[in-house]
Amino acid sequence: MKPATLNESRARSIIRAAAVLVLAPWLAPAPAGAAMSSGFNRLLEAVVRIDVREVTFEAGARRFVAGVGSGVILSREGLVLTNAHVASPHAVEISITLPSLERVDAQLVGWDHWTDLALIRLNLDEVRRRGLTFQPATFGDSDALYAGQTVYAVGTPYGLTRTVTRGIISNNRRYFEDNEGVRGYETGAFNTWLQTDAAINPGNSGGPLVTEDGRVVGINSRGFFGADNLGFAIPSNTARRIVDGLVEHGSITRSYIGLVPGTLQDLEHFYALALNTGLLINSVDPGSPAARAGLRGGDILLAVNGHKVDGRFPEQLPPIQNMIASLPVASTVRLTLKRGSQTLEVPVVTEKLESRVGEEWAFEKWGLGVRKVSRAYARENQLDDDTGVIVLGVQAGYPARVAGLAAGDIVTKINQQPITDLAMLKAAYERFAAKPETVLVEALRDRRISLYVLKP
Amino acid sequence: MSRASVFRLLPAFRRLRVAGVVLAAGLSLRAADLPDLLAERVRSCVTVEFLTENELDRQPVAVPGVCIDAQGTIILPASAIDSRIPVSRLKDFKVYRPNSSVPYAAVYLGQDALTGWHFVRAEEKLRPDLVPVTAWVRPGTPAPRLAEEVWSIGLRGKDEDFRPYFLMSRIALIEPLPQMTAVAASEIGSPSLPVFNRDGAFVGLNLNSFGQNFLLFSRQERGASVVLVNVEESSVFLLADEVLPYLGRIPRNVAGRPLSWLGVFGLEPVDPDVARFLQLENQSALVVSEALEGSPAERAGVQARDIIVALDGRPLPRFKPDQVVATYVERMVAARRPGDELALTVLRGGRRLDLKVTLGDEPRIIREADRRYFERLGFTVREFLYGDAVVRRVKQAARAGVIVEFVKSNSPAAVGGLEMDDWIREIDGRETRTYAEAIGALAAIEADQNRTEFVVLTSRGGETAVRRVKLK
Repeated sequence: MKPATLNESRARSIIRAAAVLVLAPWLAPAPAGAAMSSGFNRLLEAVVRIDVREVTFEAGARRFVAGVGSGVILSREGLVLTNAHVASPHAVEISITLPSLERVDAQLVGWDHWTDLALIRLNLDEVRRRGLTFQPATFGDSDALYAGQTVYAVGTPYGLTRTVTRGIISNNRRYFEDNEGVRGYETGAFNTWLQTDAAINPGNSGGPLVTEDGRVVGINSRGFFGADNLGFAIPSNTARRIVDGLVEHGSITRSYIGLVPGTLQDLEHFYALALNTGLLINSVDPGSPAARAGLRGGDILLAVNGHKVDGRFPEQLPPIQNMIASLPVASTVRLTLKRGSQTLEVPVVTEKLESRVGEEWAFEKWGLGVRKVSRAYARENQLDDDTGVIVLGVQAGYPARVAGLAAGDIVTKINQQPITDLAMLKAAYERFAAKPETVLVEALRDRRISLYVLKP
Repeated sequence: MSRASVFRLLPAFRRLRVAGVVLAAGLSLRAADLPDLLAERVRSCVTVEFLTENELDRQPVAVPGVCIDAQGTIILPASAIDSRIPVSRLKDFKVYRPNSSVPYAAVYLGQDALTGWHFVRAEEKLRPDLVPVTAWVRPGTPAPRLAEEVWSIGLRGKDEDFRPYFLMSRIALIEPLPQMTAVAASEIGSPSLPVFNRDGAFVGLNLNSFGQNFLLFSRQERGASVVLVNVEESSVFLLADEVLPYLGRIPRNVAGRPLSWLGVFGLEPVDPDVARFLQLENQSALVVSEALEGSPAERAGVQARDIIVALDGRPLPRFKPDQVVATYVERMVAARRPGDELALTVLRGGRRLDLKVTLGDEPRIIREADRRYFERLGFTVREFLYGDAVVRRVKQAARAGVIVEFVKSNSPAAVGGLEMDDWIREIDGRETRTYAEAIGALAAIEADQNRTEFVVLTSRGGETAVRRVKLK
């Protein structure tokens, strides 16, 4: 089981909120004792509620869903940090509720699903015009955290604005990777997570995890549903690096070579390795730079550009992955490998890391919602190449559904032309919209090729 | 006057029979009443019992079958035996007569690829007590029609001494699927037992029952949709003309070889709208998803995306539902022998092409694969077959290693993370090129009592992983 992300639909939040309110008198915790620090009180002025309306295409049409999350104000320029699963490029409307309970519009600056972080910017003109004020938060050093240290989570669980919960750091280097963890996007390969037992519930997403003096040490992000207080946050030191990149470029560019690591724990003896040496390569993505360079599953990576790597334990994998991801795109990286008794030096040329999730769109007159096949998706599903779009959903009574297309099909051709990009499909749709004529569609389902006609 | 024309001239008589009126003497066959007909025809029916043996246990299987000749040959439906189970694991075939607990020995003869039937032969001393189903064939009997009355026999289980019972209904529907198949209004007998008309003439053989949709209501659920299949009784049967010509297809060997092979994957039918778009009127067509590497189809020039429109110059007929046409083509292939020709007409990029395929003999299939169980390690491996490369999307040249066929739960292999269908490519860091190499390596590990662990490189879903199996 993987921890689930924690934003919350509004309808559910109301129901849950009621249940929690009824229970509150019996569950009230003992008072913490002395008053909170001034730093902590200042921090409370930097935590916001974020309401997002975003577009989805799963219904075979453009549909909008609403969600609630939390965020923390970073700067006087109105930058707010939250989770990528709260504010993504799918957002069409973002509004922020300041600690003063005033609402202000905001815009997405950029997101990075790999670390589950997104940066949004308050509409400062509106803030000034309405004479509103806000406070930025102060960041702490997440590397200095220790297990057992008291921390607080601040946010909007189940829509309950300005909720503070208390706990400790349960583990300061938790590893988990989730290939579909952020709305179907990959996450967790390049960072470890802080684990805390401060109560984190749906709606806490994007809110800060803070120390007693009110310094932000993490961004609350995930939890195990049904477990007792197993919550996870992105360390603030990771967040700061990502924020810098998002401010500068609007996105984070990473390099990819196609290695799937495994842990060497207990296998050093078999591979005749010295302790604290090497990273096990479990798999090499087909067609990736590493595959082209001849790397194989079962190889041991000893060094990257001469820097020794140590991947005995799971939590050691993200830093190594991050080191590779941080190399410039299209640069040559020198890998030192052990294969059997041989030691090899292999040059590999990096390429740009892409998500498995491609661009999404809906063709409403066809009743068809689609997502472009990405290179990563094609590799994962052993497709020949990235031609085509994946059907996200079809709408009952519309041509795509009537023809027999279904979610999961991969539409590869339209009127005999391979779909190499979404623009090409959009152009075909425009022609159909302007002058409705029967369209021949070719699609794959479990490697089987079928033909369909979309009739006006 | 032939019997057939008598039938046609006497509709009124038939109605009378339905009312239960026994006809006058002189028309003895039709005059015989149902209890007598039943008592005679039960002698064609048997239950075949056998064991399928796997790594850990033996599973008894009991299926009704029908005797087809004086040599005590019995046919069982395709579903009686999982097609992946090697013949060597089928043990202790026995035959029971209805109303009897006395077992008779029998041998398994193999499966016919065209009909799917499994053939079994009973020991000699039972043969005089069996009546071949062909004894009930009445030449000239017209094919049954809608609304006609038909009956068959059900057989209870072993605990009830395989007691026969009577079931009767009327034909609701007859449809080519692609074989002419009748569906009765309710269950008429056990799967694979013969079906008779009111006069006791053989008119067909029961198939497995079709699933039926029901809405299931309960206190918690409001009308949840479920599909129910009656596995003991069937309302579906193949008409006699789809049965009688094939009774002689007794396999020459237990493997059922040769198996004629076209070598295409994913024959997908076009629906009537697509057919019209392709200007194919009143016929069907099939899209080829893949022409398999090195197959007869590939050698003949068949390519992925070719649309098969005709076989041997005859347009593919339209069946309902659409996918029946794929079975039609499969049967056309299965009815031939390796070396026979099959002429395909395909549409490719708007052009019609005629391709001549010389059918081959199918590469080894799962039930024929070599395999071995390593009890201490807790898993079974089998040789890597042609089809394994197809499923895993690798070139035939990349065939190597072995496939995990079974993993015993909580065994070292299971704890080490091995799963069924994993492809083992390296053992202890050494590439295993052949089945023999892999078996040699695993046997050495199993025999070495000092071994504490071994390491395999496996491939699953295109992704490889190193797995360690601890033995101590």
